[in-house]
Amino acid sequence: MTFDDMQSPALPPGSPAPGPLEGIRVLDLTQGSEQYCGKLFAQLGAEVLLVEPTAGCANRREGPFLGDRAHREHSLAFAYFNQGKRGIALDLDQAQGQEVFRALVRESDLVIEAERPGRMQARGLAVQALLREQPALVTTSITPFGQNGPYAQYEGGDLIGLAFGGLLSLGGYPGLAPTAPYGNQALLAAAQFAAVASMIAILEVEGQSGARQGQHVDVSVQESVAMALENAVQFVELENTVRKRNGGEQRQAGTGVFPCQDGMVYLMAGGVASNKFWNTTTDWLVEAGAKGAEQLREPRWLDSAFLQTAGAKRIFAAIFLPYAAGMTKAQLYAEGQRRRIPICPVSTTADLLVNRQLVFRQFFEQTAHPFSGRTLTVPGAPFRMEASPWRLGRPAPQLGEHTGEVLSGLGYDHQRQAVLLREGVIA
Amino acid sequence: MNRFPLAGITVADFTWIGAGSYTTKILADFGADVIKIESAERLDTLRDAKPFQGGVRGVNRSGYFADRNSSKRSVTLNMKTEEGRALARRLIERSDVVANNFTPGTMEKFGLGHEAVRAFKPDAIYIGMSMHGQVGPESRYLGYGLTMGAVTGLHQLCGRPELDPAGTGTNFPDHVPNPAHAAFAILAALRHRRRTGQGQFIDVAQIEPTIALLGPAVMDYTANGHVAGRVGNQHIAGAPHGVYPSRGEDRWIAISASSEVAWQALLHVLGDPALEQDVRFAGMAGRWEHRAALDEALARSTVLHDALELAQRLQQRGVAAGPVQDAADVLQRDPQLQAREHWVYLDHPEMGRTVYNGLPFKMSRTPGFPHRPAPLLGQHTDEVLKEKLELAAAEIVALRAQGALQ
Repeated sequence: MTFDDMQSPALPPGSPAPGPLEGIRVLDLTQGSEQYCGKLFAQLGAEVLLVEPTAGCANRREGPFLGDRAHREHSLAFAYFNQGKRGIALDLDQAQGQEVFRALVRESDLVIEAERPGRMQARGLAVQALLREQPALVTTSITPFGQNGPYAQYEGGDLIGLAFGGLLSLGGYPGLAPTAPYGNQALLAAAQFAAVASMIAILEVEGQSGARQGQHVDVSVQESVAMALENAVQFVELENTVRKRNGGEQRQAGTGVFPCQDGMVYLMAGGVASNKFWNTTTDWLVEAGAKGAEQLREPRWLDSAFLQTAGAKRIFAAIFLPYAAGMTKAQLYAEGQRRRIPICPVSTTADLLVNRQLVFRQFFEQTAHPFSGRTLTVPGAPFRMEASPWRLGRPAPQLGEHTGEVLSGLGYDHQRQAVLLREGVIA
Repeated sequence: MNRFPLAGITVADFTWIGAGSYTTKILADFGADVIKIESAERLDTLRDAKPFQGGVRGVNRSGYFADRNSSKRSVTLNMKTEEGRALARRLIERSDVVANNFTPGTMEKFGLGHEAVRAFKPDAIYIGMSMHGQVGPESRYLGYGLTMGAVTGLHQLCGRPELDPAGTGTNFPDHVPNPAHAAFAILAALRHRRRTGQGQFIDVAQIEPTIALLGPAVMDYTANGHVAGRVGNQHIAGAPHGVYPSRGEDRWIAISASSEVAWQALLHVLGDPALEQDVRFAGMAGRWEHRAALDEALARSTVLHDALELAQRLQQRGVAAGPVQDAADVLQRDPQLQAREHWVYLDHPEMGRTVYNGLPFKMSRTPGFPHRPAPLLGQHTDEVLKEKLELAAAEIVALRAQGALQ
């Protein structure tokens, strides 16, 4: 039997270009950047329902805020990470909330949750309990350290994940405290791997014949961060060397951040494992009349040990900086790339909006923000699928926006909904 | 039989260096048959990248390469020869997924661009992971993870406001955003093909996934006109939240204790009267307002402690804290990663028993993990040609004599 003989639910003939994940029903219980996982599913066509606590997700209280107004409907992070989803507000710590949740699970294929290990169990909503409701369910748990092990109950968060996972040690400047990557990259790394893992699990479930069996996917933020350590672990193992942070300096002569007329560029005259771009960079600087550039032709510049020295870095900077000072980011980018040298602007968020390539690709999209009546410009498709396109989807839900319609769909009449609202089970 | 969940999928893998190879590693560790098509003449740069086993350079000795190529097979084909290209084409015919991360035009030069492949293999899932996407004014611009980090805006956002940007210290887009997005797209395309029989082209412009992760910062500009700057470690509107010195050389501890409960627990563990009695730090608002002074005062206290020991004591009281672990800590000393068996050791024919990243997720019923060491250059050429293309031994000898298998 081939992989394709294992049937995913068939598509009716003649349907318009569908999202590739159409028909997959997802419950998303996460409250921060982990929501990126559900967003990836939503924008490929899955039906994703965000299940928020009645007070709203934690990241409704995180900035940046639209118009700098600290309000739960103004969080740009919340708006971004929940685009394409519907949302209900439900208290999972109350028995009646748990009952609603079990009813939702019976109609779902995937639950994504990021509670501390044991918390769902305390609610009577452990993986095994959910599997009794829906035997084919995939439950994906995103936690700081995974479900088991000595640190499983430790407190997490983005900074703590970066610290335990090792990436923090590589960021920042020698002699100063390490600095973390911007923007919850640890939580986002886990969210991205959670999406991959959930997708593998769903393909596996859909591929089963007969009574389908789901499973539990256990994603660790710490381990997701460890994936980003590049070659640092192998340096320890194979060459007994511990890599250190080197921000703010040239990595080697000709590689690093250099100021120019209107900002900064990143130049990599050294390439990755060879010095193949050194000669082309030298030609450029000589032809441009950069003072002293001729000396870059001396054979010592092809010796990578020499490029590592402070002296080499100083000489290169003394030649490149005066030339760069008269050029804009865009000019250096165009001219360096014309010569097939890896150089690029150190972009700001403002630069992204006028990046020629992104504009050409129509990367940015617009979405409504119904609460404020504004229109927001947001990053669009992170990849293009020709036959089954990514779609931006509906704006992120306002708190409890779809509670009524979802509960009605489960058979809760208006009176029962009124009782649940009064008791604080829903919002 | 406990089959890997992606068993039965074959990948004709033309990827190299970082992001492409890490994408197909995910598929390979979960059971796809990933056939890495390499060239001895145009070597995967990572095969020649440090670190090398024992510090000795060699095409089969790079730990950087090995980690990104676990569970795969390697075939060498000389794509400059007609025979080499014909073999590649036949391998594609027998594959489900075709992957590359060349600059646009390279696969076309081999006659294996997506239009050409579609013509002879319409149900192929064909993924191109160039830096800027297949078309556009800068589609042929070149770069690496480091320049990508810069062009996406991530580099500029990492570090201290008063200094040059520090970035992540790594080729970050290569290791997480690009492989994860690409693998997700491939898996979604496999589902679409199951439902419709349709293959498709997936265009990953390697700068775009990273920008997608910076959504809130982008929107702060598009909606509010704020160009986000570097904030050091102050990523949340709460204090204390940061990285503090601890005992030893270049050792640090990350602490996030902005709630009142966490702050009280932190005071209890540190037992530092100077912190307890400072009225500026008495309430949450005060700690935020005086966060610079708070950070200095905290540093004077944390520096007296061992980072791991202090983090463990804080964690026992519910305070989010962690030692800033370096690569040796995570590999050799972290009890959590050991308990989770994150690091996988495999016997490599030339490198011996060496370490690989397991994937950062566990599946209860159908686990996946690195199950074969990285291939030697061309290690599986004969095996794959026999098995996949049903070539006879004599045919392989002849092809080798023609120089098609280098």
